[in-house]
Amino acid sequence: MIVQMIDNEIKQDGTDVSVYTKQKRKPGKLIKFFKEIKRDRYLYLLALPGIIYFFIFKYVPMYGITIAFKDFSPFVGFTESPWVGLKHFTRLFTGSDFLMLLRNTLAISFLNLLFFFPLPIILSILLNELRNQFYKRTVQSLVYLPHFLSWVIIASLTFMLLGKSSGIINHFIQSMGFEAFDFLTNPDIFWFLLTGQSVWKEAGWGTIIFLAAIAGVNTELYEAAKIDGANRFRQIWHVTLPAIRNVIIILLILRLGDVMEVGFEQVFLMYNGAVSEVAEVFDTYVYRVGIQQGQFSYSTAVGLFKSFVGLVLVVMANRMAKKFGEEGIY
Amino acid sequence: MKKTLLCLMGLLLVLMLAACGGDEEETASNDDSDSTENTETENNESESTSTEDEEVTDVRIMSHFFSPTPPSDDNEVEQRIEEATNTELDIEWVSANNYPDRFNVVLASGDLPDLMLVPDPFSPVFRQAAEQGAFWDVGPYIDDYPNLKEHIADIAWDLTTMDGKQFAIPRPRPSEGDSFFIVRKDWLDNVGLEEPTTTEELYEVMRAFTHDDPDGNGEDDTVGFVGYINDENMGGFGAFEGVFNGVNGEWGLQDGELVHRAFLPGTRDMIEYLAKAYEDGLIAADFASLQVSQARDMFKAGEAGVNVNKSGALQDVYDSLVQINPEFEFKNLLPLTNVNGFNPKGPGFAGANVIPKSVPEEKMKKILGMIDRWMEEDVFMLHKHGIEGVHHTVEDGEIVIDTEKILADGIADHNQIVYVSDPYASTVKPTFPEEVQEMYANIQDEREKTSVGNVAVGLHSDIGVTYLPELRKDAQDLKTKIILGSEPITAWDDFVEDLKNDPDMQTLTEEINESYQNR
Repeated sequence: MIVQMIDNEIKQDGTDVSVYTKQKRKPGKLIKFFKEIKRDRYLYLLALPGIIYFFIFKYVPMYGITIAFKDFSPFVGFTESPWVGLKHFTRLFTGSDFLMLLRNTLAISFLNLLFFFPLPIILSILLNELRNQFYKRTVQSLVYLPHFLSWVIIASLTFMLLGKSSGIINHFIQSMGFEAFDFLTNPDIFWFLLTGQSVWKEAGWGTIIFLAAIAGVNTELYEAAKIDGANRFRQIWHVTLPAIRNVIIILLILRLGDVMEVGFEQVFLMYNGAVSEVAEVFDTYVYRVGIQQGQFSYSTAVGLFKSFVGLVLVVMANRMAKKFGEEGIY
Repeated sequence: MKKTLLCLMGLLLVLMLAACGGDEEETASNDDSDSTENTETENNESESTSTEDEEVTDVRIMSHFFSPTPPSDDNEVEQRIEEATNTELDIEWVSANNYPDRFNVVLASGDLPDLMLVPDPFSPVFRQAAEQGAFWDVGPYIDDYPNLKEHIADIAWDLTTMDGKQFAIPRPRPSEGDSFFIVRKDWLDNVGLEEPTTTEELYEVMRAFTHDDPDGNGEDDTVGFVGYINDENMGGFGAFEGVFNGVNGEWGLQDGELVHRAFLPGTRDMIEYLAKAYEDGLIAADFASLQVSQARDMFKAGEAGVNVNKSGALQDVYDSLVQINPEFEFKNLLPLTNVNGFNPKGPGFAGANVIPKSVPEEKMKKILGMIDRWMEEDVFMLHKHGIEGVHHTVEDGEIVIDTEKILADGIADHNQIVYVSDPYASTVKPTFPEEVQEMYANIQDEREKTSVGNVAVGLHSDIGVTYLPELRKDAQDLKTKIILGSEPITAWDDFVEDLKNDPDMQTLTEEINESYQNR
């Protein structure tokens, strides 16, 4: 928290500096730079632990990425393993698994964006419209409690609810005289099963940010809207939504950056042989090939590709956001 | 399941650190040679100063455990072993559920313990590391350790030799008593059937177990067979594949040539058989999404009548069933002798221990000495029967074992590190009632007449390193789907046809056969 505050402070300071140096670019830019540092030395000193932390734990380890371009063998070590250029990437892109992985990852992400992303917004607006504070608080707490359950528990709950032989829902279906429905080993509904789980677990939690944003809306706007004759829906449409638009967009950008991440635990736990061709995503693939089969270089290449796509998506989404006149995330 | 996941998470973290920790890693491995030399000289020095009073050797061990919790660090059995072998043990117990993953990660991290379990001494990762000189070739030394030589069968040593070098110290196991069908005898009696000896009879048994109310409670709450599926093989259903092919393992011998089991006609028959069984509801409906432990739990809860296991592992099945029905008798868990004249035979070892090259030679010898001493009766018995007065009492010269105490302390997990193979050890455990011990031993003697070994143990193919895992997975996924009824059996024929024309498959078969001929 403190580091973040310091970072912010420096950012503010930093923008000043850049403006300043831009104006007087020519004479002794470097000297100027050091002068600035000297002037704000205590602030920099305060930021130092954070900078060191990020350097050591985030940047230095990135050196390990090099094994994606080597035939890494643990015993020979990082430096001694021979360089092989793009061999592992070629294997990935020409292999039959690639399209399947990409399709599954994107499909699961897309379904998440479509169903799971808007839900917290709707839910928080609904909650906001509640007038009874006690009721509102209770509902709010109840809907975000599942967030604190681990995926293992949710997977177990899913098995108990949807299992074919012992699942409660199938018992119910059978007691109505229908055939038991195959939820868990059915490739056709696997993606929706995942989306449903995500919604159940995280939708309530997602409302927190939106509710905070809604709480920050100036009440005078609502009063003005009322005087203009706007009903409840009009107020939501013309006041609430525009007011939280920037929050929505920022979260959307962050989400887009995560398009390639579909949650290892969840997919891994729900994975089984019958649904493998719709369930294998980049994360599970990296785990299976990398850790279980020990093909470290190849799986690093897969992971690197995944991260690269994620980065590109964030940059693109951010540009778009700026184009539409929003703030973006950087 | 939760524990598994926790471990997995830990593993992921380790891998991330291992994969990312480039710089530190590198410096560590660069310094490695220096530091080993340092420790070596240190060791030598300390040895020269105190050779008289036989200095205690610190040994870091990594192995896996099967009990619910691993033995505690300060347990008395371990202390006694340390005393006897003059060592200070630091044992890192890793759940057997994900030991192979952990092994790969530890190998990648470069920070190896002094003695570690290699779950599969033929895995590419291990082979590669061994070829690059990561482990001691103990071949030249084992003659100095009579117990190692005597208690580990020659065949086990032979099979684990790699290019004439002996990197692995095989963990001896009885070759008889491998996992095979276990049937509820009381259910057989209730439905009036005999012990099945063919797959047809087994089908009838499974049918009756499902539909004829074998537990006599008037409810339709039982199922014939319960098993789990692995990502890369039939898992708990493996026995069916073996029985139909008469082949143990992945490669069958046809006219002197090794053929992958996908091409064996029995595999197709097995798939059809199981698909029919599934359609008739004889197999637990959720089998494809069951974990190993979940499948076992169903059998333990008396919901299923047939399961696959080692008979030596039945103690906790009995413990659970007797809680549900106090009149349940141990002998009602009946291991089948053979089906279609087939039952599997183990290779005489299960995994191996290795000593990394980072251990100095002197210490390596001491570790071999430790294992040698450990194999002697007085030490080994410590984790077989436990300590007198704590885990067992002696009455009239007979050892009376406190089963609960032994299980609670998890002392049997030490078997995973050092074990002296008693030929009946996979079949009976000292905790079993005497009549059951006798009955199971007799069954093992009968099984021995028909048991079939795995001809392809230890064979290596270069292309197989990347090709086999994919092949296994694709084949297994398809088998699962056909059994579930979501694909027709013709999909298997197409798959086999494609496989026949796959150049990689042809290379694989050639390489495996070459490896087989050279053995």
